[in-house]
Amino acid sequence: MAYLEQYNWDDIAPIPQNDGGENAVAPIAYSDEYRIAMEYLRAVMRVNEFSDRALKLTEDVIYMNAAHYTVWQYRTRILFALDKDLCQELIWVEGVGRRFTKNYQIWNHREVIIEKLGDPSRELPFIESMLELDSKNYHVWSYRQWLVRRFDLWATEVPFTDMMLELDVRNNSAWNHRFFAIFGRAEAVLSSVVDDEIEFTKSAIFTAPQNPSAWNYLLGVLKKSGRPLSDLEQFCLTLSDLTKTFPATSSSTTTSHEEDILSARAIEVLAEIYAERNDFPRATHAWTLLAERYDCVRENYWNFKKRSAVSRLAGCA
Amino acid sequence: MAAPYTPELNKVHNEKVPIQDSLITETSEMQDETARVCEGLILEGQLPNLNRSAHVEFLQVPLQNRLPASFTGLDASKPWIMYWPLQGISLLDPLALSPADSSRVSASVFACISPTEGGFGGGHGQIAHLASTYAALNALAISQDREAWSALDRKKIYGYLLAMKCEDGGFRMHHGGEEDVRAIYCALASAALLNIMTEELVAGSAEWISRCQTYEGGIGGAPDNEAHGGYAFCGLAALCLLGNPIETVPKYLDLANFIQWLSARQYQPEGGFSGRSNKLVDGCYSWWVGGCWAILEGLMPALRMGSDVIWSKADLQKYILCCCQSASGGLRDKPGKSADFYHSCYVLSGLSVVQHRYKISPQKRESKLGEWSLMWDYEAEDEKVVKVVAANAVGPLNPVHVLPWGVAEMMHDFYAKQ
Repeated sequence: MAYLEQYNWDDIAPIPQNDGGENAVAPIAYSDEYRIAMEYLRAVMRVNEFSDRALKLTEDVIYMNAAHYTVWQYRTRILFALDKDLCQELIWVEGVGRRFTKNYQIWNHREVIIEKLGDPSRELPFIESMLELDSKNYHVWSYRQWLVRRFDLWATEVPFTDMMLELDVRNNSAWNHRFFAIFGRAEAVLSSVVDDEIEFTKSAIFTAPQNPSAWNYLLGVLKKSGRPLSDLEQFCLTLSDLTKTFPATSSSTTTSHEEDILSARAIEVLAEIYAERNDFPRATHAWTLLAERYDCVRENYWNFKKRSAVSRLAGCA
Repeated sequence: MAAPYTPELNKVHNEKVPIQDSLITETSEMQDETARVCEGLILEGQLPNLNRSAHVEFLQVPLQNRLPASFTGLDASKPWIMYWPLQGISLLDPLALSPADSSRVSASVFACISPTEGGFGGGHGQIAHLASTYAALNALAISQDREAWSALDRKKIYGYLLAMKCEDGGFRMHHGGEEDVRAIYCALASAALLNIMTEELVAGSAEWISRCQTYEGGIGGAPDNEAHGGYAFCGLAALCLLGNPIETVPKYLDLANFIQWLSARQYQPEGGFSGRSNKLVDGCYSWWVGGCWAILEGLMPALRMGSDVIWSKADLQKYILCCCQSASGGLRDKPGKSADFYHSCYVLSGLSVVQHRYKISPQKRESKLGEWSLMWDYEAEDEKVVKVVAANAVGPLNPVHVLPWGVAEMMHDFYAKQ
């Protein structure tokens, strides 16, 4: 262990682990290296020692257990107390991140360091390299949002999501980030920007008409910008032409028009549009198609939608 | 007006969805592979039994044995490796926990207290953490060790919870730590168990949660973050802790959008839930998403939304029994993954949601702050909705605290009577 080899610890009385007595539950048979390092860690933390040897100890502990949030927090306090080179720290953390890709303590640590440093220039390249390892890593995307807002880095963000969606149009994290990039700023969003987003998303839906991420984004943009759902009627009919299946004979949905149905979500949106204009027969027809054929596992939900529409209509009458 | 369509109940959906996009991406490849593997394990017309004894044995490991060094990664989560198995065993076979185990649990939990801060940390000598505090108190609740309950310094814990509160209404997980919706849930659930809920503690938190609801309808970890099943549960359950849920839930969430998103979490043919759009099913969301359904089912009658189950309990039961059971005991994310304590706890809690109907009964208690999470009742789910054979039955729970039913109530009342 580097901390033992490089520094003298003779003045420190290690504090043994107390799991709660002889009969403790969930004790772990640690390696000797880990057990001893933790004994020293408890001892130096107890006296709030901020020193180079303690810093080295935190490094060794993190390599053995990167999820140990206490040691990260202690490390930050040491770095600040000793006025350490924070750029050096960022480089070190990048190595930890690549070694333990699922670890998320590094993101809070980095946030604290960057906040103190006031310079985000290393961050976007590092984030991108981490997204190459896992393009939907929740903590990486959250960190990117913090960074963008904190340092006003909005200009890069829409093109960045263009690139990520080019790689995988089903990456929901990228869609969510795009929504943030467009609507997350304080100022109002221009109507032309909304138009562009709607067109962009419709094109994406044409490449994969079942993609829920693109649909959620489209509906989100519409709602956020106060546009009516009925704007989508023609678009939905292009993907799922219900005019050919309606009126259906009884509730039979084994139509001869299956080639006209490319998207279950288009049916769902049409149902909402019909229900909004109180066209209950058409809305019911759409929900029935979903329940009986195109999205059966959610049958109970589609029937709930039907019941809700019935009671709403009854309420109006 | 036509009579509402009557669904054929208890039906499972083992066939593929009829429309498959031709465009292939990394997401669709992983999805197709998962669906294929699950399909192979789903047997038409029959369900495997819950391998109860193997699962109990698996969950007894941390209670009865020393864990191998490979568990070092959970060294900062000690209260969790007590709570997860205790919750799982309680649902499977409460008699498998002895009073002797209880006092061992409480001694081990107490070893995690941060004496300077008052909250619980991930282990001895670690700084206090709200998730550790939540798991520690839940483990203590299940232990029902009243001596340990008496020994808790509730005033000090209250001070710790308040110290984690941020000016904007959220909470931080620990000193210098991240602010997210989990932290609100963990702090408020802890306060309810200890009967130390105050207006000061909850001020602004409902508004903070509301800001976490995304355009998709689900809830993210913090404002602007992606909607996620785990955070959705934390946000919804926190709203059930900080006020009368019949009022807070529709007030602070766009409920129609939330339900739409929640409904889209269930996949065919797998039957299980995913945590986010275009992600794979995972057994743990049987709880995080299923727990949301349990709460919503309890609120829907009071919100005039009917009393029918609006998702497929039969399909989730199918996913759990066919795909989440590891042959050597324990429950898992999906076929091909190893069982662990975390998944065992939340898959079994999800199975409890399948088998029970939860409802809130405000007349049970005085309508005041700190009591709202303790008014949940249950009954066995109607066999028209889902058939449950006795061999697979698990116990009921409190859907806000994720504790065996009655335990949170008992702990709270222990302090209320002091």
